Amino acid sequence: MTVRSSFAEFAGRSSYWFLHTFMNGGSSLPGKLTLKLDPNILQAFSKKYDLVIVTGTNGKTLTTALSVRVLREKYDQVLTNPTGSNMEQGIVTTFITAPCPKKKGLAVLEVDEANVVKVCKYITPIAFVFTNIFRDQMDRYGEIYTTYYKILKGVKLAPKATIIANGDEQLFNSKDLPNPIIYYGFNHEEKEPFNAPANTDGLLCPKCQHILKYRMRTYAGLGNYFCPNCGFHRPELTYAVTKIDKLTPTHSTFEIDGQKYTIGIGGLYNIYNALAAYSLGRFLGVSQAQIKDAFELDERVFGRQEVINIDGKQVTLILVKNPVGLNQVLDMIETDDKPFSFAFLLNANYADGIDTSWIWDGDFEKLTQHQIPQYMTGGERYKDITTRLTMAGVKDMWHEPDLTQVIDKIKEMPTEHVYILATYTAVLQLRKQLAETGYIKGGMD
Amino acid sequence: MAKYHLHLAHLYGDLLNTYSDVGNIIALQYYAKQMDTDIDVKVISIDNDFNPQDFDLALFGGGQDYEQLVVSKDLPNKKAGIDKFINDGKPLLAICGGYQLLGHYYIGADGEKIPGLGILDHYTLSQDNHRFIGDITIKNEESNQEYHGFENHNGRTFLGKGERPLGKVISGNGNNGEDHTEGAIYRNTYCSYFHGPILTRNGEIAKKILLAALEHKYPDADLSSQKALKIKPTF
Repeated sequence: MTVRSSFAEFAGRSSYWFLHTFMNGGSSLPGKLTLKLDPNILQAFSKKYDLVIVTGTNGKTLTTALSVRVLREKYDQVLTNPTGSNMEQGIVTTFITAPCPKKKGLAVLEVDEANVVKVCKYITPIAFVFTNIFRDQMDRYGEIYTTYYKILKGVKLAPKATIIANGDEQLFNSKDLPNPIIYYGFNHEEKEPFNAPANTDGLLCPKCQHILKYRMRTYAGLGNYFCPNCGFHRPELTYAVTKIDKLTPTHSTFEIDGQKYTIGIGGLYNIYNALAAYSLGRFLGVSQAQIKDAFELDERVFGRQEVINIDGKQVTLILVKNPVGLNQVLDMIETDDKPFSFAFLLNANYADGIDTSWIWDGDFEKLTQHQIPQYMTGGERYKDITTRLTMAGVKDMWHEPDLTQVIDKIKEMPTEHVYILATYTAVLQLRKQLAETGYIKGGMD
Repeated sequence: MAKYHLHLAHLYGDLLNTYSDVGNIIALQYYAKQMDTDIDVKVISIDNDFNPQDFDLALFGGGQDYEQLVVSKDLPNKKAGIDKFINDGKPLLAICGGYQLLGHYYIGADGEKIPGLGILDHYTLSQDNHRFIGDITIKNEESNQEYHGFENHNGRTFLGKGERPLGKVISGNGNNGEDHTEGAIYRNTYCSYFHGPILTRNGEIAKKILLAALEHKYPDADLSSQKALKIKPTF
C-alpha cells in the first residue's frame, strides 16, 4: 500500500468513525473523501481480497446476502457491502471500514451495473455473478442492451474471471467472451414450443433477429429459449432447479440438482437468487449440505418483504418499481391460500419514476380470480392505479390519496392478510407513519 | 356474447412494447365491452404476414432503438398491407416509434437516417442529448376535448400534407417543441407521442377509434347507443 493510499484510507476511516459516532450514519461520504485523496484507493485492496462481483437489474441484494451466508459456511470472514452502497463510493467505504484481514480475505460485493467497470479497473475479480437484465421503469429509455454492454466493459478488464450467469437470460449468451462461464437456470418442466407474451423485453434472437420461442418460461424473458430460425438456444446448465415443490408467500421449497431446499421467502424470482448463491458456493467449493444449512439457518436475511403486525393483521409491505418486479409480486401473493385485502400506493416522484405507464404491464387481471374482498388505491397518483384496477375488472375500491390515513384504513379491512404494494417514496411515507404510530422501529432497512 | 366483434392487429407488439402500449388494448377492450363489442387481438410481428382484410383496427407502438431498427427492416414486407388498411379508413393508433415509422424517416440514436413507411407525410429529426420528458396537455380544436399524457421522446416530428395535429399544445412540448402541435390525424389514423398509455387517460379517443371500426365493419348497424356512450374521466 502506498503512503498516499494509507493516508486516504486513514482519512476515510476517520470520517466514517466521526459520522457514525456523532452524525448518526453516512456511508458514501467517507468513500467520496477517500477517493478524492487517492483515486486509486481500490487498488490497495486488490492484494488483500479475492473479489466476487454480483450485478444485474433485479436480485442483486438478496443474491449477495445469500452468497455471503453460503460462503461463511467455508470461509471465516466474508466482506460485503450494505444494501444500497453498490456504487464506487459506497464500495470504497466498505473496504476502508472493514477490519484488516490477517490472510487474504474474500469479498462478495453487490455492484451497480454502471459501476462494474469502475471497480474492475482497480481490482480484478475472481468471479462475476449475473442475475438478469430487465428494463427499469426509472430510466426506460436506457436499453437492456446498453445495460449489458456497461457490465461487459468491466468484464473485459477481467478476462480470466469466471462468469456465473443466469442461463435463462438470453442476453448473457449473446456475446462471445474469453471468460470461463458457468450457467445456472431452471429445468423443472418442458412444454411444446410457445411464444412469450407480447409485452416482454428482449425477445429477439441475438444471432439472426427472429423472435425467440420457449419450451419453458419462468417469468419475463427468462426460460429455456430457442430460435426457430437459426437454432440459437439456451446453453447447457451446470446448476439447475429441477423441481418446484411448493410456493407460498413466505416460503419456497424446490430442488436443485435433485436435492431439496427451503428458503424462508416467497416468489419464484427469489429461487433464482438462491440458485445464483448456490452456484457461486459450489464454484468456491462449498458442499450441498453446507448450502442447505446456510439457506435454512436464519430467515432474517430475507428482510426485503416486510411483514408488519397492525392490531392483529398481518400486513405485507412490498416495494414495486418496474413491471417485471410487479408481476413477480402479483404471482407471489397469489400463492396465498387465504383471502386477503390488496392495496396499491402509487407516487410519481423522481425516485418512483415520473411516468406511471408501467403499471399497465402489470397483470392485475389475475387478481380478479382470487378471493380479495377489499381493494384500496392510494398515493398521489391514486387515479392512475384506480383506472388500471377498474379496467382489470375490479368493481369497488377504497381510495386514499393521503398516505397518513392509510393505517386507519388497513385496520378496517375485512381480512387478516393484507398486501400493500407501493412505489419507493410511498413506502418511505408509509414507513414513517408506521414508525410514528409504533408499528415498526423506523428507518428504511 | 357481445353483438359486435372486432379483430385488432397489434403490429410488432412483441418488439415495440417499451411504453406499456398494451394498456391501450386493455382500454379499447374496456370501452368496447360497454359498446356491446368484443375485441380479439393478434400480434403481427416480423415473421407474420399482415392481411389488412383480416383486421378492423390496429395498434402500432414504440420500442427500443434496436428493436425499432429491426422493425424498420421488415416494414417493406408489410407496406402495401398497412397502406391499404390506412387508406381504406380503418382506424390505427400509432404511438411514439410507430408514429415515426408511419412517416418518411427518423434519425436513430447514432445519427443514422432510418426509413419509415412513408404512408403519412411527416418526418422526424433528433435532438442532441436531450429528450422531451414530462406531463403534457393538448386540446383538439375540432372537438374542444383536452387530452392528457406523458411524453418521453428524443425525436422532433414535423407534419406534412394531409395531416392535422391531434391537438394544440397547452402545456408540454408536443411534436417538435416549436410549432405547438402534438400528434397527427390522417383519415382514421391517430398518431401521438403520448404515453400514459394514451387511451387509458383519454377515453374519448378510444371511443372515436371504436366507432370508426364499427362503422367500417357494420355500415348498416344502428350504433346510436354506442355513440351515446358517456366516457367518465379517469385522469
